[in-house]
Amino acid sequence: MTPHSGSQYLGADVAVASNDPEHLQFLEAAGRGEFVLQQCAECERLRYPIGNACPFCMALGWQWAAVSGRGTVYSYEVVTHPIHPSFRGLVPYVIVLVELDEQRGVPGEHDALRVLGLLVDAEGNPEPEERAGINVRVQVDFADLGDGLALPRFRLADEPSEFPVWRYGYDGAG
Amino acid sequence: MLEFPGQRLRDRYAIAGIGATEFSRDSGRTTRALGVEAVRAAMLDAGLGPGDVDGMLSYHGNDSTASPVIAGDLGIRLNFYMDCSGGGSSIEALIGLAMGAIEAGMCRTVATFRAMNGYTGNRIGGTGRQAPVFTGLSLDQGIHGMHSAAQSFAPSFMRHMYEYGTTSKQVAHVKVAHSKHASNNPRALYPKRVTVEDVLSSRWITKPLHLLDCCLETDNGVAIIVTSAEHARDLRQRPAYIMGVAGRVNKEQPGGYHWTRGPISRVAGGHAAPIVFGQAGIGPEDVDVTGSYDAFTFTTMLQLEAYGFCKEGEGGDYVSSGIIELGGARPNNTSGGHLCEGYTHGIGHVVENVRQLRHQADDYCPGWAQGQHTYDYSEGGCRQVQDVEVTMNLGWASPSTGSALIMHN
Repeated sequence: MTPHSGSQYLGADVAVASNDPEHLQFLEAAGRGEFVLQQCAECERLRYPIGNACPFCMALGWQWAAVSGRGTVYSYEVVTHPIHPSFRGLVPYVIVLVELDEQRGVPGEHDALRVLGLLVDAEGNPEPEERAGINVRVQVDFADLGDGLALPRFRLADEPSEFPVWRYGYDGAG
Repeated sequence: MLEFPGQRLRDRYAIAGIGATEFSRDSGRTTRALGVEAVRAAMLDAGLGPGDVDGMLSYHGNDSTASPVIAGDLGIRLNFYMDCSGGGSSIEALIGLAMGAIEAGMCRTVATFRAMNGYTGNRIGGTGRQAPVFTGLSLDQGIHGMHSAAQSFAPSFMRHMYEYGTTSKQVAHVKVAHSKHASNNPRALYPKRVTVEDVLSSRWITKPLHLLDCCLETDNGVAIIVTSAEHARDLRQRPAYIMGVAGRVNKEQPGGYHWTRGPISRVAGGHAAPIVFGQAGIGPEDVDVTGSYDAFTFTTMLQLEAYGFCKEGEGGDYVSSGIIELGGARPNNTSGGHLCEGYTHGIGHVVENVRQLRHQADDYCPGWAQGQHTYDYSEGGCRQVQDVEVTMNLGWASPSTGSALIMHN
């Protein structure tokens, strides 16, 4: 159970347990600049977050599959009151819930591969809320954790949104 | 596919006793002391002695004291007990488990309690004192800066606003209504009436949630007694008969995270509704009083919508229409709820509905204990709903976990 050591995020240790190879491999792939998800060996559907069986067909077998890391913001929030000490220096920060381009509308109309992440700029600092919003296009960004690991987050993609962008507190929204 | 058993157990079980400690943010006592006082109060309320209770259930988040200790302090010998891990929406499910244990012949009368130092001990929203390390499941959510319930649930409310045009102003009416109710509750921790403007001008916690959209972490113990309807009729109080119960019901949620599947603006109550209404044989239109879990203003709204008290997407209109206020067509959380009376992890909402069904809401009416009320809902007045017959509790743990309970008098 000795955890993987030597990696840190925002000043806190990232300690992946030795019996948790799934999370370790996920963060190692990100360390190589790859955004990977689990793909079912039987029905071939991708899934997120990390799990120990396929939520669509219950199969146990799976392999890693790289995805583009591009997607659309499905929902978001602007955290102003931090809880975890590591995030105190970051507020206000935007957390985005992103629907990846792969496998949208699967298995149901309202389903997609949804991934959480901090929305950051090119320097890795939190984007201001004025630049966030539902339907904003984003792409994966990797935060270096040291010792070969990285954490997928998101930054704005330089491409037009498919649907009008909706921002809380702007144009009468919310 | 197996079918639900329908109305087989309707009216066969009842809540016969209720009890609570003071609600405070400085209990100065252990959860053991809080649990003992609450269970004892519920037993005395029902007219039961230590030899009359032989079952015990509790729920906790590693912040409580176990049933054998509470029972031992009170001289109770248990034939059945279980201390379950779980927060909001546990109480409705545990009432169903109590019925099941009695039905199975394992015991006869069950005391169910929640005891927590929710403010001075283990704060649900986190204390910021946890070790700064990311490991295990926190690698999926916590590492992205999402830690408290407010931070976890906020995207559901945001999406509801996007899909349906719901506004912060509309849901602020939940706090306004509950503060009105709390102003007529001598036990309420936050009895001051507030306005929509007060809510909207309070500081941000996580946008779209303001401080006054969030409930009050509280130190308290609350307990209820479940027994057969037949036995309850021989006890001290008018029974609150259980018509239906459902929980803890989930949405599909790979990884256990509510944001993974389906429309995140819709909540687990949509799955609990056919179970609980099917057992009770009634619909939302027959319910006089609701107790929709108010961890936040918008959680009340999302659940009322999920159970069909209004159409999908119309929750904002419903909660801002006056319907949910005392004097309205279907008041919600007449105690002031978690937003104003104090946070109990849901059990306080069930206790309040039992009070309503007994016509014994402990308000400022001099004759409340005898069921004499003025029905004048001005500040410092009455909080009893006139002619209430059917109440419903809508329990919440997260957008993807909920429970429900329907009772009548």
